[in-house]
Amino acid sequence: MSDETPTSDTQAKEAASTTDGRSMHVKVYSPFKVYFEGTAESVSAESATGPFDILPKHHNFITLLDPCDLIIRTGKDEEQAIAIQGGIMHVKADEVIVFLDV
Amino acid sequence: MRRPVDIAKDEASMTTLVELTSVFEGIASMRIAQTKNQVLESTKFFDALWAIYLQLRVDAIFSYGRGNSDKPVLDRELFIIITAEGGFSGDIDQKLVELMLKDYDKTKNDIIVIGHHGAMQLSQRGVSFRKYYKLPSKDKNINVAPVIKEVQEYRKCTVYYQQYVSLMNQEVKKIGLSAAIQTTAEKSETHEAIISEANYIFEPSSYAVAAHLERSMMKIALSQLILQSKLAQYASRFRAMSASHERADESKAELHLAYNRARRNVKDERLKEIINGIKKSKAAAS
Repeated sequence: MSDETPTSDTQAKEAASTTDGRSMHVKVYSPFKVYFEGTAESVSAESATGPFDILPKHHNFITLLDPCDLIIRTGKDEEQAIAIQGGIMHVKADEVIVFLDV
Repeated sequence: MRRPVDIAKDEASMTTLVELTSVFEGIASMRIAQTKNQVLESTKFFDALWAIYLQLRVDAIFSYGRGNSDKPVLDRELFIIITAEGGFSGDIDQKLVELMLKDYDKTKNDIIVIGHHGAMQLSQRGVSFRKYYKLPSKDKNINVAPVIKEVQEYRKCTVYYQQYVSLMNQEVKKIGLSAAIQTTAEKSETHEAIISEANYIFEPSSYAVAAHLERSMMKIALSQLILQSKLAQYASRFRAMSASHERADESKAELHLAYNRARRNVKDERLKEIINGIKKSKAAAS
């Protein structure tokens, strides 16, 4: 166990956002609401070319999302589904940002 | 001289008015705080999108999200005027309409009105407009997509809106829509990295993504201008309500004074009648 226990909110956030190559930092939000923010093992959605999955170490990627269920897998049997009407997904260095209502 | 009971009725109505204006004042002040927060949240979101757009920029010119579309563009300028929905927001809408009409030339410009009050003011002046949209009643998730679709048909677009400076000061302003995006973006941090097809995968294509980003940023910029206008309208309403509250308070105090005077007069009259009665009965007895 590490001795470096986060002592403040900022440190806790920094620790949560650090990815180890097996997870990614994911943020799903619209101008007025954050739907999800945290680490995840994979993210699935649909674009014009069909369904796709984003896993850690994915190549830099920008896509326009189609209406679908955006699925964020946070653990082995844990997932969160967000019904979306469309959006923009930006993937870079194990960081996935989904802009909704745009 | 009015009867005290009539003055008391007027005073009671004035008390209701004082309470009502105070409630409206409170609501306006609460709305101002909420809307300010929403503008801040929306600006942060815009900054994140702008950072991507700036790195991705496929064209030097902002193309209103038209991308590679070969649809003909109208060689006219579209004016969008954002006014209040009802006539309950002071004189700010009138000033805004006057500002727009100074620039308006019907051979070169088309008008889209957001807010019923502006549509009414233009109709009263005999100025025709292309479309009228209701000012969104909610402050979140404003759907400006139909307006943006109209904007894309024009070569240029200018938005006339109201700006909140302070609680007691609101201004009427105009801004080109692409300039509005630029102005919002100037406040965000600059990003050096370049996003291109050499280091990114794009779906469906970099041009489609850039066009979509432009449309998205136009939507956010227009929503922000609508929020700015609503903020100014709430402040204008607050100012109007503050003034009405003050006037109603003064009237109430005057009515209360008049009521006391009237009651005193009635008492004096009765006292006079009693004294006269006593004098008469004394005179009759002697």
